[in-house]
Amino acid sequence: MKELEELNLPEDLVYTKDHEWARLEGEVVVVGISDYAQDQLGDIVFVELPEVGDSFEAGDEFGTLESVKAVSELYLPIGGEITAVNEELDDAPELINQDPYDGWIVKIKPNDPGDLDKLLDRNGYMGILKGDE
Amino acid sequence: MKKTPLYQWHTKNNANMSEFGSYLMPLWYPQGVKKEHCGVIESAGIFDTSHMAAVILEGGGCRDLLQKTFTKDLDHCLGPKKNPLHSGRCVYGIFLKESGQTLDDAIVYHVAGDRYMVVVNAGMGAALCTHLKKYQENLDVTITDLTDDLGKIDIQGPSSATILAEILEQPDQAFTKFVYFSFKGWFETDATESVMLKDGTPILLSRTGYTGEFGFEIFLRPDSLVDVWQMLLERGGDSIVPCGLAARDSLRAGAVLPLSHQDIGDWPFLNNPWIFALPFDEQGIFTKEFIGSEALQNNPSAPHTYAFAGFSPRKIPIGANSSVLDTAGNHLGDILTCTTDMAIERLGDNIISMASSRQDGKPENFKPKGLSCGFVKVKHEIPVGERVILTDGKHKVEVEIRKDVRPARSARKPLIEMMKK
Repeated sequence: MKELEELNLPEDLVYTKDHEWARLEGEVVVVGISDYAQDQLGDIVFVELPEVGDSFEAGDEFGTLESVKAVSELYLPIGGEITAVNEELDDAPELINQDPYDGWIVKIKPNDPGDLDKLLDRNGYMGILKGDE
Repeated sequence: MKKTPLYQWHTKNNANMSEFGSYLMPLWYPQGVKKEHCGVIESAGIFDTSHMAAVILEGGGCRDLLQKTFTKDLDHCLGPKKNPLHSGRCVYGIFLKESGQTLDDAIVYHVAGDRYMVVVNAGMGAALCTHLKKYQENLDVTITDLTDDLGKIDIQGPSSATILAEILEQPDQAFTKFVYFSFKGWFETDATESVMLKDGTPILLSRTGYTGEFGFEIFLRPDSLVDVWQMLLERGGDSIVPCGLAARDSLRAGAVLPLSHQDIGDWPFLNNPWIFALPFDEQGIFTKEFIGSEALQNNPSAPHTYAFAGFSPRKIPIGANSSVLDTAGNHLGDILTCTTDMAIERLGDNIISMASSRQDGKPENFKPKGLSCGFVKVKHEIPVGERVILTDGKHKVEVEIRKDVRPARSARKPLIEMMKK
């Protein structure tokens, strides 16, 4: 298991207490799970993705990740409509383990991009992880 | 929480640690469980299994006590002719309670003369001793619990023998006439027939394991454990991978081997894939009486346990709301084990393993996604091939009741063939 200081938590992302990350790219928000989450889960063997066009509120479950250890729900960091899913994960779910930031899961058109400001920055997320320990 | 002598090694090598049977054990190492699982199928893996317990029985009454308490009939158990257990051989069986429920599963080793070794699961040494003493009466048996006084490393996978040969003092001698479920040597220096490592460590080398793959269990003094573990890793190089409990669990589930207190437990040991552990004769009648036998003979309502395999890696977490349904949605029973065998995939009607041959239909560049597998316990009989639904109340996964799961397993292959791997 990685020590907290070994975790790769990029500064330019925002995070949730459920261990998702989000990044604004133009008009869409890219969503994945953090290095901490992939390390805790172990090898991911299956990703259940939503359909493009599905709409969700912030905090809604939008899919599941199955690792060797557990089945975990994925929660959307902000509300919006799914504009793309990472179909590469169907054949290679291990991409999330290899690089959880390159191995994105969905892209969404946010209802309000301003909602991103309500999420945690790197320090805020790190504080949650320290509290988890 | 207890620790094995390899605890420091596990944490230094960044293992993901977890509690198992009151021991802190590695779940997997940084390379990940898929590499560990597939490493055992393709080359070799080593497992720290020092959390398991061994009990030594000595004295003229040993065999009688085991005949009374162990499900295997030690006088009719070896090979197709059901020959008696003799020194150098070991057998798998169950210690049952009088109710016919499982106390634990075990391997009984006939060491020599009036000396036997019984290997049970983590934390079960004391419980087995209590159980044996309860039925000892006036039998001449000295019972010694070696819990935490014995180390064990399992080396499993087709390359096990070639790697082990590198650290054995006399590998040719050790590997002669070494059939599945036999063993050689002793872990003390006072042994008459010894198996030694090059550094002088005496070991008990057993051709057994819990993965369904070819390999050995190495019993040794706990103070030699770390050195031998490191020697195996050095000699094995790229062909060996340290494995944690998660890979052990997925390998054994694909091999249709039970996890004690999960797949066998507080219900009658009947109607399951492991009833070969019971002493049936050709007519299906027990060849001996033993603790629990009466309860098993009068149990028409005992549940049925089946192996299953899914159609994808998808699995259902076991919890308060998990259950087994028929395809119409009616409740059938409970999920006992649900994991993913990462070395297999379905091609048409068949399951193909990384270890399958071209003739078996394995395609070129076969990269399996894995299949969920495990065991279900249901109220009524279900025919092999029938589909059932596993659910946690939220997700549903369809699986097939199977006789077997992972094909092309290597456990029973002749040692001479495996020396070329």
